[in-house]
Amino acid sequence: MRTLLLEFYKIKRRKIGLTITAFLAVQFLWGLWAFHDPTPAEQAKGFLSLLYSIPILDAVMVPPIMAILASRLADIEHKGCTYKQLETLRTPGSLYHAKACCGLLIIIVMFAVQYTLFILLGYAIGYQDSPDAAHYLLSYGLKLASNSALFLMQLALSMLFANQMIPLVVGLCGSLFGLLLMFVKMYSFLPWGGNLNSALVMIEWNADTRQASYFYREYSPVELAAVGMIFVWLVLFYVGGRLLFNRREN
Amino acid sequence: MKTQNLIETNHLTKQFGKIRCVDSLHLQVPQGAIYGFLGPNGAGKSTTLKMILGLTRPTDGSITLFGTPVNGQNRIRLLSQTGSLIESPSYYGHLTGEENLHILQTLKGCAKADIDKVLRIVRLEEARKKKVSHYSLGMKQRLGLASALLGFPRLLILDEPTNGLDPSGIQEMRELICSLPSEYGITVVVSSHLLGEIDQMADHVGIIRKGQLVFQDTLETLHAHARQQIALRTGRPADTLSLLRRNGLEAAKDEDYLLIPMIDDERTAALCRQLCEQNIPLYRIEKREKSLEDIFLSLTGKETSL
Repeated sequence: MRTLLLEFYKIKRRKIGLTITAFLAVQFLWGLWAFHDPTPAEQAKGFLSLLYSIPILDAVMVPPIMAILASRLADIEHKGCTYKQLETLRTPGSLYHAKACCGLLIIIVMFAVQYTLFILLGYAIGYQDSPDAAHYLLSYGLKLASNSALFLMQLALSMLFANQMIPLVVGLCGSLFGLLLMFVKMYSFLPWGGNLNSALVMIEWNADTRQASYFYREYSPVELAAVGMIFVWLVLFYVGGRLLFNRREN
Repeated sequence: MKTQNLIETNHLTKQFGKIRCVDSLHLQVPQGAIYGFLGPNGAGKSTTLKMILGLTRPTDGSITLFGTPVNGQNRIRLLSQTGSLIESPSYYGHLTGEENLHILQTLKGCAKADIDKVLRIVRLEEARKKKVSHYSLGMKQRLGLASALLGFPRLLILDEPTNGLDPSGIQEMRELICSLPSEYGITVVVSSHLLGEIDQMADHVGIIRKGQLVFQDTLETLHAHARQQIALRTGRPADTLSLLRRNGLEAAKDEDYLLIPMIDDERTAALCRQLCEQNIPLYRIEKREKSLEDIFLSLTGKETSL
């Protein structure tokens, strides 16, 4: 616990809050721009449509944010060569665990704020339906799991490589993957497909009427397996990252 | 009563691929000592210290700290009684000196008042609120020492602590290290590739060469190796040699000189008189001393740099 609290102490003046605020602000402004003038049909199912829009937006925007967050947490140790001192006071495993927990707590708050902002936006625009609490909570949970897996992958890279360009490039490539995977299928077994897997709502576009209709997704067995894969990645990246960090030498 | 060794290594070995960086080392650091760990660059000093601190895994051998063999379970508990500064100081540049020390003080679980004490010892009180990224190298080095001193551990391991310091900084660091055993009861292991530095600080010395310990004893014993000799240059070296032998003196040739062990003034005068009586021209008579540096070079090999 002491080690975890110190992680928050260490990231003072690292502007992690500012980075996340900027990310949330961009998403919110995009929401304002995209949804400010809804058609009556869109207004009727506005909160439902958000369960589609937010994961799609995250599939592109979140991978680099996870890379930046992990890098901001880990590079302070590389810059100041602190591992060789910290590892005489704590085991490498507990240091890794503290960093992971610190990042995950930030992610929990970040997505809670994101959902709150979008729900407020929906009310401000005047959506006529109401946010379905169960679906929103499930969506939030799946989002947390998939993006935590991404974060843990980035954290492992950031803690293992002193050169932060490597994890940052992986994060940027993840953003492109998120975009490409969307055009292939709405599910993927890759870590960057987690946000698509967690979209509980699908869209059907009618070219003749130029109307989009939203409906709750019925997961096929393959899609359910892809959702399960999110949790496999989550465990794999945590355990793998911790093991590799334990094995390295200073 | 036998003094306890705070560090003991047994056949400590580290191999990277086919290269043996540290080869079967038997290090013994007595309690209360300032142990100078001396060796040329790349001799294996840092690797040895890192193995002692558990930062690098030994290929073979064992380490005993404070009389207890170190293993995965007790490593952190044993190391909680040590402070270290390895290669370069560890710090968070975006935090102030005081904040850096607060992190380590929390991790070590020592008293908050220790922060003020160590800042005073290393004379960083005025810079405590300054970001460490704005510190000079010497200040960072002093902060590194302050971090190591937090909690006033029983054992302090310092790897080349004067690296990058200006002459006055070196002098300051040296004085500080020398005061630690007497003022705080701390045993210090200090590594360096500079003989003069160790000569001025340590009372025990270990010399490592190509991963092997070639000397380990007190500094006094090392100094005893610094033999004094008398060098003679005469007009007839062969006759001089037989005269010396007749006087029971073994002589060694060194270019134009004959080297004999140190003798007292009376015997020197008698020797000169005999040379004159036998009409052997005496050109030079000099006192020669094998310096500590010569000994170091003979132990570590002349090809290695100091």
